[in-house]
Amino acid sequence: MNPFREAWQSIVRRDPLSTDKGKSELVFLNVWLHIHPAKVKKENLKVKHTFYLGFITFFLFLILVTTGVALMVYYRPQSPQAYQDMKDLQFVVYLGTFLRNMHRWAAHGMVICVFLHMCRVFYTGSYKRPRQFNWVIGVVLFLLTLGLSFTGYLLPWDQLAFWAITVGTNIGSYAPLMGARIRELLLGGHTVGESALLRFYVLHVAVLPALITLFTMVHFWRMRKDGGLSRPVWKLDQDEPAQLVTIGAPATIAPLAAVPASQDKTYGLMEVVTGRPIFETVSMEEEEDAVFSYPYAFFREGIALLVTVATVMAVSLFWKAPLEELANPAKTPNPAKAPWYFLGLQELVSHSALLGGVIVPTLAVLALIAIPYIDSNPSRRPADRKWAIRAFTLFVVVNVVLIIVGTFFRGPGWAFVPPWVHIAGAE
Amino acid sequence: MKRRSFVSWGTAGLVALCSGIGVSLAAVVRFLTPSVFYEPPQTFKIGDPGDFSYGPPTFLSEEKIFVFRDREKGFAVASAVCTHLGCTVGYFQSDERFHCPCHGSVFNADGTVQHGPAPRPLEWFEVTLARDGQLRVDKDHAVPASYRLVVSS
Repeated sequence: MNPFREAWQSIVRRDPLSTDKGKSELVFLNVWLHIHPAKVKKENLKVKHTFYLGFITFFLFLILVTTGVALMVYYRPQSPQAYQDMKDLQFVVYLGTFLRNMHRWAAHGMVICVFLHMCRVFYTGSYKRPRQFNWVIGVVLFLLTLGLSFTGYLLPWDQLAFWAITVGTNIGSYAPLMGARIRELLLGGHTVGESALLRFYVLHVAVLPALITLFTMVHFWRMRKDGGLSRPVWKLDQDEPAQLVTIGAPATIAPLAAVPASQDKTYGLMEVVTGRPIFETVSMEEEEDAVFSYPYAFFREGIALLVTVATVMAVSLFWKAPLEELANPAKTPNPAKAPWYFLGLQELVSHSALLGGVIVPTLAVLALIAIPYIDSNPSRRPADRKWAIRAFTLFVVVNVVLIIVGTFFRGPGWAFVPPWVHIAGAE
Repeated sequence: MKRRSFVSWGTAGLVALCSGIGVSLAAVVRFLTPSVFYEPPQTFKIGDPGDFSYGPPTFLSEEKIFVFRDREKGFAVASAVCTHLGCTVGYFQSDERFHCPCHGSVFNADGTVQHGPAPRPLEWFEVTLARDGQLRVDKDHAVPASYRLVVSS
């Protein structure tokens, strides 16, 4: 017996991948892959159904963790060392600029992809029963992504960072009753200073990544338990309507595929829980439109990973992450702008801090969370949910317009300045 | 176990659990609140009265204050922190007003809001003469905009 062969078999412990059993065992017996089903519906893998936005978001998060840990090696969360370390990363550390660029652009990309993923899930109606609560977890993940971006924004300790966080945390202090207290806890003081930098660092590298990892796990788990990706809307008309289950599961929860309950068969615990006989669950029968996850799904996910990494690397080669001068509490840059994804918020805040900075965003988040519970329409077909689509599109458009106005149409003193007008002395 | 004792033990347990959680939460909040703020003192000296010129106010960037000196009326100190979101305002001699660069709030020379999203006028701080003859500013002590310290030279 070849000892190397034996060692290899002790690691993989499955049949060869040329067999259907091996392909299934690759998924069942592997801790990293078993979040996948052994077989997936061919149509669900289509790019035009999901655009792979959830995967891309997750891959961007992996890039952020990797580059973030690398950056931690050369970063001290103190003033003014933090800024010196930025300069070191830019000019001294081998690959420092490149890693920082990757971290910055992947972070922006993640904010965009989370949002686009949310839009995809809305437009395909994939938040509907039984997935309502997974949508809520998705909203939490979106907020955590923004929190990670916001806390990371302070760390370079340059003018951009200092003033964006000064403005951002002051918005929070308008919240009634607790506002000022929360700001003090967040900053560890009354102004953005040394302790604020350290606290944001702790949130950015420990607390928020741990939270986002936990919620991501729940997000994936629930999606898998709800039967994986939702069916593409164009397949809805062709699929046969699911019948209510007869075994075990109460009729009030999600309908499962109907199985004729046999009088003379003893059902196992797992069968009662899932409402399906084991032999159907692990059926080796070739379903018409189902394929093995290996290689079809894994190959496509691999492509998505490669494209994501390659895009972030390419962008990082050509565009540098901004770094302004050292944070100076005495001199506010004019105009002082928050990160782009908060510029819609800043635009609202420029009209009223309490209304625009606290009330409207709170209501917007509550409305997002409530969507699956307000929308009682069971149909996922776009033709049946015109008003839901119109309302959500309005929400998206308002957000995008506010961000565009804040980014390109606001000049010194937050005056309305079109981007094609040049103001002497302004950037 | 009797029903009566179950209820009383259950209540006691629930009260103990809730108070345990409450105390722990309070401890967390207290832990996160620094016992000492290593921040600049709120009361500080800014120099001799003679150091300040008449006319446009002197901006002290470290302290974020404007020191006004008028020939008849004397000294007054205004906060340079915008009441909207904490940006540092600038004083423009051209229109004798304070302008905030962040969201465009404009304050009159007496600190009142001319326009923009600022909810309150700029703060004015008490300025007194210390024993050594220097001007002393107390940021914890807000005063009306009409407050003036007259120093006879």
